Amino acid sequence: MDNQRNNQNQQRALDHTIAKGCANLLDEIDKRLLVVLRDGRTLIGILRSVDQFANLVLQQSVERIHVGDKYGDIPRGIFLVRGDSVVLIGEIDQQKERYAPLKRVEMEVILEAQRIEQEIKAERDARRAQAFKERGLLYQTEAGITEDN
Amino acid sequence: MLPLSLLRAAQYMPMLVELKNGETYNGHLQACDGWMNICLRDVICTSRDGDKFWRMPECYIRGTNIKYLRIPDEVIELVKEEQTSNSSGGGRGRGGGFRGGRGGTRGRGGRGGLTGRPGLGSSGGGGDRGGGRGGRGGGGRGGKFPRAN
Repeated sequence: MDNQRNNQNQQRALDHTIAKGCANLLDEIDKRLLVVLRDGRTLIGILRSVDQFANLVLQQSVERIHVGDKYGDIPRGIFLVRGDSVVLIGEIDQQKERYAPLKRVEMEVILEAQRIEQEIKAERDARRAQAFKERGLLYQTEAGITEDN
Repeated sequence: MLPLSLLRAAQYMPMLVELKNGETYNGHLQACDGWMNICLRDVICTSRDGDKFWRMPECYIRGTNIKYLRIPDEVIELVKEEQTSNSSGGGRGRGGGFRGGRGGTRGRGGRGGLTGRPGLGSSGGGGDRGGGRGGRGGGGRGGKFPRAN
């Protein structure tokens, strides 16, 4: 209750400093949001605070891992995400989420599935890097330039 | 409560900091500033793959390298408490200043007493003058740092 009032006050105080028609995250405060980071990770949590850099505070957050049509959540607590590592922030439509063709699985299951997916990807990257190298080129992955083994 | 204020409130708390390069640093927050530069104590650094670990007594991290921070759940509770005590604490600070003023008048009263009533003045005059000074000093402190009282 107090928290809500504080946020309302905060919002009111900031409202007149923000131009109309400008993208603004204050309306999303206290909603459950999905945040995608630049490293591809997906966080879901309640947005408690935000600043001009889009630094975010997420409470009761989970990290959601998708592999194929399965997903799993890992509880992560409070996150303070630095704005420059945020790619997108989206509100979750609870109705649509219920009918999404995705299957929720246990944390252990999804972690194992993710490990397998990463191994396959690493193997493919290694093959690609080898092929590039034979042609005198450098293959760059997300992790940087692959070292030759 | 802006994200950086929350970080400031989390001083001395254990936290996990992930850098943009994927390394994570576990430690107790020693200090932070408006650029999210932070100082950690008793740090355990984990490599990107999570297979190598380093211990260090302290480290400084430039804010721009941070991807996110994970902070303990208790911080939010702490902040709520601090916000409520701050609003009443400010009042207490002003009250202290006012009490200081009253101490001063009583001191003058004592001095007046010195001429008229030697008995009361000799015991109360010196003490009251001291009280008056103490009161003013206390008032100043109360105004500047409400929570120190």
